[in-house]
Amino acid sequence: MPSGGSPSSVRTMVAERDEVAVVAAARRPGRPFPRRTRRGSRAERLAPFVLLAPAVLIIVVLRLWPLVLGVNFSFTGDGDRNGMPVGLDNYATLFADPLFRTALRNVGLLVLLLPVAVAIPGLLATFIYLRVPGHRVFRGVYFFPAVLSPVIVGAIFNLLLAYDGPLNTLLGGVGIGPVDWLGDPDVAIFAVVGVHVWATFGMALVVFLAGFSALDPSLLDAAKVDGATLPQTIRHVIVPALTRTIQFVFVTTMIGMLTSMFGLLFVMTGGGPEGSTYLPEYYIWVQQGQFNQPALASAASSVLFVIMLVVGLAQIAVLRRTGREV
Amino acid sequence: MAGRRLTRWVVAVPMAGLALATIYPLVFTTNVAMKTRREYILDRFSLSDSLRWDNIAAAWTNVGMSRYFLNSAVVVTCSVALLLLFGSMAGFALARLRFRGSSVLFLGILAALFIPFQVIMVPLARIMADAGLVDTYPGLVLAYVAQFLPFTVFLMTSYYSTVPAEIVDAARIDGNTVYGVYWRIMLPLGAPALVSVGVLNALFCWNDVLISLLMMPSADHRTLMVGVTSLRGQYSDDIPVFASGVLIAAVPVLVVYLFLQRRIADGVTAGATKG
Repeated sequence: MPSGGSPSSVRTMVAERDEVAVVAAARRPGRPFPRRTRRGSRAERLAPFVLLAPAVLIIVVLRLWPLVLGVNFSFTGDGDRNGMPVGLDNYATLFADPLFRTALRNVGLLVLLLPVAVAIPGLLATFIYLRVPGHRVFRGVYFFPAVLSPVIVGAIFNLLLAYDGPLNTLLGGVGIGPVDWLGDPDVAIFAVVGVHVWATFGMALVVFLAGFSALDPSLLDAAKVDGATLPQTIRHVIVPALTRTIQFVFVTTMIGMLTSMFGLLFVMTGGGPEGSTYLPEYYIWVQQGQFNQPALASAASSVLFVIMLVVGLAQIAVLRRTGREV
Repeated sequence: MAGRRLTRWVVAVPMAGLALATIYPLVFTTNVAMKTRREYILDRFSLSDSLRWDNIAAAWTNVGMSRYFLNSAVVVTCSVALLLLFGSMAGFALARLRFRGSSVLFLGILAALFIPFQVIMVPLARIMADAGLVDTYPGLVLAYVAQFLPFTVFLMTSYYSTVPAEIVDAARIDGNTVYGVYWRIMLPLGAPALVSVGVLNALFCWNDVLISLLMMPSADHRTLMVGVTSLRGQYSDDIPVFASGVLIAAVPVLVVYLFLQRRIADGVTAGATKG
């Protein structure tokens, strides 16, 4: 739902590799149309293509073609050298730019924080599934920020995280702080990622709960009869049963972090302080929108695409390995 | 047994705390929106003494939120309508018609699902500029349709795959053309999926800021979310009006969430559960 409630994160949520195969298999018509329609007019035979034409045309021209064009741009120059082939110059400029290096370092930080961002909704979903008191309310409430635009979330947290704002007042009450959440270069990126997790954990929670609905309840009963503690139940029953859901959430959460934090960055920090909260997507926007350097921006886009591909391939590798073990 | 019940409460209390933390930011913002500027500066936490609509009214008229709201409403409505039309047409053809190249087309559309907007935004901006579509409503609508169409086609295809082929056959024997089958049978049958996908797409488009920033540079054409980002600069010293602007942009989403929460959750998990 989300760059809005994170469109990109949801968009990718439906695209796990496995169910793609399932859909591909299921969509095969059970039976072709009755024979006699074969003599149908030419218009009839062309019908599938007519029905598909708008979708295919739009997707090819406005999604697939730009991808090719973008890679091409990244090997041409900006400004005076507009359109001229420059080889790898843009990539050299890119990796020499401290801002882009910060952006890449922040991607590394996101990877490190990923397990936390997956574990939180996983644990909460477990408790909700085990029916802690109030589980129905929790489910509805936790999911709610996920439908809000990052712009709204960012704007609200601008108020909450202000130096003299509510959070610092609260912390001051217990003798901590005040912390300059969005003004301290060492803190700001954590503040923004924290807000992103706050805004999106409900999405992963719902996916986890859907995974739980496919879990065999008798396994949990058996664990209970055997006197397993909660941590034991989670470790030996729930985690193995939900392996695929967990992997799915890992990948979608990572993709969400890489592609749907623009709104937050734009509203909360503008990439600052001192460029400390840059991410590749923000860098691309700044180079394209502010500095009018489309070729350099395209090079950054290509790098981002490679990062996403690596995430995707890592997922496939993990799936293969677990597939072999089972 | 008593031990177990205790554990449950030990877990439930922090979870209730988290639920509070999930709700509080919006409550705080609403409360601020009801305060006068003076009230806010003196004490930003106390409950506002009255429901005051001045700030909302000020944000709606003075800052141009009404204009932005209208822009968003128009663009989102057109985008969702086109997405549902094109998505269901393609979904029906891919799920229930047999023709050469069907799987190639399906895989091509699927591949497009994995291309993030940030990766193609630079060349897309140039294509749109060359076509004279930058800063126009059709341009932004087209950009949204292109962005969310692969997802829509994918979900509609998987939904139509669950419709029994016999229904289509029967309709054909009754003398319907392929288009007749689509219009009279598949479109009405697809209603549940169309509602779910439609609500999700409406949220995506309504909440977007990056595509809108890129496609609609002039102030008059701003969508609501871009309008909210510009509020901050204009009203940095009048926080209650700023908070009111944020509320105006959030309320439609809240209403949709209250009524269609299940639908949204279903749409989000549609892919995850099918495996």
